[in-house]
Amino acid sequence: MTGKGSLRVMLQVALFAVVTFVFVSPASAIPAFARKYSLRCTACHEAWPVLNDFGRNFRDNGYQLRLGKDDTVTAEPGYWPVAVHVLPSYTYTKVTNQPTDQGTKTLGSGGVGDASIDLLMAGVLTPNISFLVVPTGFASDGNVHLESYWAYFSRVIKNSDWLNIRIGQFEMDLPASSHRNLEMTDSYLLYSYHPSVPGGANISAYDMGENQRGIEIVGHDRDSLTRYAISVFSAHDSLGSSNGLSSPSFYGHLQKYFRFNEGPVSQFELGVWGALANYPTQFLTSGGTPIPGSGSHLQSSTRYGMEANLWLGPLVAPLHLDLVYGHGKDKQDLFAGTADRAGTFNGGFLEAIWVPPTDLLHWSVFGRYDVIRNQNQPLIAAPANFNDQNQWTLGMKYTIAYSIRDEVALHAEVSSNKAKGVGDGGLDQRTDSIMFGVDFVY
Amino acid sequence: MFYRVGQLIPVFAGLLFAAGSATAAGTGSVKTGKLVYERYCLSCHGAEGNGQGEAAEYMAVKPRDYRQGTYKWRTTPSGSLPLDSDLEHTLLNGLHGTYMPTWRALDQRSRRDVISYIKTFSPRFATEKPQDPIVIPPDPGYSDASVARGTAVYKKYNCSQCHGPGGQGDGPSAHELKDDWGNAIVPYDLTKGHVKCGDQSTDIYRVFMTGLAGTPMPTFADSMSSADAWDLVHFIQSLSPGYAKNMMAAAADRKTGATQ
Ligand code: HEC
Ligand code: HEC
Repeated sequence: MTGKGSLRVMLQVALFAVVTFVFVSPASAIPAFARKYSLRCTACHEAWPVLNDFGRNFRDNGYQLRLGKDDTVTAEPGYWPVAVHVLPSYTYTKVTNQPTDQGTKTLGSGGVGDASIDLLMAGVLTPNISFLVVPTGFASDGNVHLESYWAYFSRVIKNSDWLNIRIGQFEMDLPASSHRNLEMTDSYLLYSYHPSVPGGANISAYDMGENQRGIEIVGHDRDSLTRYAISVFSAHDSLGSSNGLSSPSFYGHLQKYFRFNEGPVSQFELGVWGALANYPTQFLTSGGTPIPGSGSHLQSSTRYGMEANLWLGPLVAPLHLDLVYGHGKDKQDLFAGTADRAGTFNGGFLEAIWVPPTDLLHWSVFGRYDVIRNQNQPLIAAPANFNDQNQWTLGMKYTIAYSIRDEVALHAEVSSNKAKGVGDGGLDQRTDSIMFGVDFVY
Repeated sequence: MFYRVGQLIPVFAGLLFAAGSATAAGTGSVKTGKLVYERYCLSCHGAEGNGQGEAAEYMAVKPRDYRQGTYKWRTTPSGSLPLDSDLEHTLLNGLHGTYMPTWRALDQRSRRDVISYIKTFSPRFATEKPQDPIVIPPDPGYSDASVARGTAVYKKYNCSQCHGPGGQGDGPSAHELKDDWGNAIVPYDLTKGHVKCGDQSTDIYRVFMTGLAGTPMPTFADSMSSADAWDLVHFIQSLSPGYAKNMMAAAADRKTGATQ
């Protein structure tokens, strides 16, 4: 990069000082719990908002510690189950090989974006029935939507932790949560990627990372070291079929943690997961427009794979590595007549979170490398590597203050994505982002 | 700019491996224990271990002040320091009805490390050794006859002075009690179906055979036979069906639990 280029970036960085409110993707850490139980956020979060073992077990138990202080009656009278999360930030993004009337150009834009907040409401309604409701939005467009809303019934049968039921709109039990991750400028490619016909359509909008409406069955051992989750849901963004469920879809995850009392590895986890999301491909129409709910000929997007997590050093301040591999397939008919065959791909990511062993655990350093490699292009004539992607992210978070009521952190991050052949004239396209923000939740 | 950031990766990789610190088997690392403490315990027990964390002010039952080495739930005789295994037992069970959570979702290493660390707040651990634990003979088994005998033991030792005739914590002395730290303390309501620490019958037994240090709850070890003590346990268990239920859950936990 030229000297002039770096200067420009420096200027963008300087803008960070002029902080107004912008909102990047919502992530949840819930200080209402910290208030209720007088714990700091570090108790549940390895590096907030990523959950640690204590947090995972707390969530699996329906947000209960089970020592007689969970429900609304035994909790402190001052406790109100609401927290606010805002992340004012400056982001600059540059995308190469964009078509313009003046030819192929690199376009960049940056600024402190439009404000929006998450209201995190969660708690226990009565012993063994808990809830989460998250209205998100309130930006200048005035829109608010419910990101999540669910009720969770713990220990449905005979005090057993092996059968808990969640109903509502919720995040799938992913190998790495896409709502409680550290990265802000990019998303897990494996979760959202679809094979595509250049310039063509794909009826499936299935995104593993997106919250879905349905029912989830969760089971776990006492310490959440062996767990499973199975969900049945109606795929989001589908026009709907004439079945009982508008687009009957399934997701499952099984995982086991292993602990070591000696040596550099303190914990290891293995898991398998799979999803089958169905979308109708034929509809009754009215004036040529598909009639919602009349779809038939369900076709599937399938995703399956495995994950391994490794914690090096003490669990309390670990280097946590998460390796996830997945295979994906979108059936031919999902491409609305434009494809020669089903599209398949392999992908995954390696994520690293390091909590340096410094006093009060103020720091976290994180990075991720995402890869997508197409296997069968839906269009045989398309270049074999069309839309193959490589992406990396590197960031740092410094929590200025932790308390039992709130937390506030500085967040800085860079990321870069390169996609084959998707730019103007079939050129490769590269997207670089840089972001600085103040992440706070109260 | 973006390329240069990429080049920093090896530098970070080097730093990362400075993080690991090995723990000798059996004893915890004080250094790592401090981090465990800061992550989980500091908000209540305070940076100085004096029980005055940011949350303590609002709590009726205050977090433990570690500086005196006074611990309530021990298997060691009255006046003795606790064993590490006693502290671990407290961490695994939590203290029911108080703000002290159970820490069994943590790995055993973290628990051992934090135990080593909290012991550094009291100079006693450097100069004194904990005494041998009391011997708890096996539970002869719950029976109506044992409960009837236990009712008499409860009267004989005047437990009702503090705990009240029905065990509800409303005896004549109940309202004037203070603990060693000067805080008002109430005798536990024995009809709740739980004691604070642990759900096994041995957890109830040890309470009156070791006493709860720092509180008015005395030890009866010098005057009470172990047969009387077991009858008393069964009498307490007869006060609520919760005890049997919780005891069964605890037994199931021990069978399946990875950590106890
Ligand atoms: C949310 C507040 C809170 C947190 C967090 C907390 N404690 Fe406690 N702890 C308490 C309270 C309150 C008591 C006193 C209960 C009583 O005496 O009835 C206590 C008591 C104790 C005791 C004394 C037991 C005895 O025998 O006297 C130990 C040991 C202890 N805590 C260890 C820990 C450790 C280790 C951590 C962190 C892993 C921790 N606590 C975190 C609130 C807390
Ligand atoms: C001088 C008053 C006093 C007398 C006498 C007394 N207790 Fe207590 N007892 C207490 C207090 C105070 C507590 C609460 C301690 C705490 O919560 O920290 C307590 C707690 C207990 C507990 C609950 C311990 C736990 O783990 O939660 C049991 C069981 C108990 N007492 C049994 C007895 C029995 C049986 C007797 C008679 C043999 C007896 N007590 C006599 C004051 C007394």
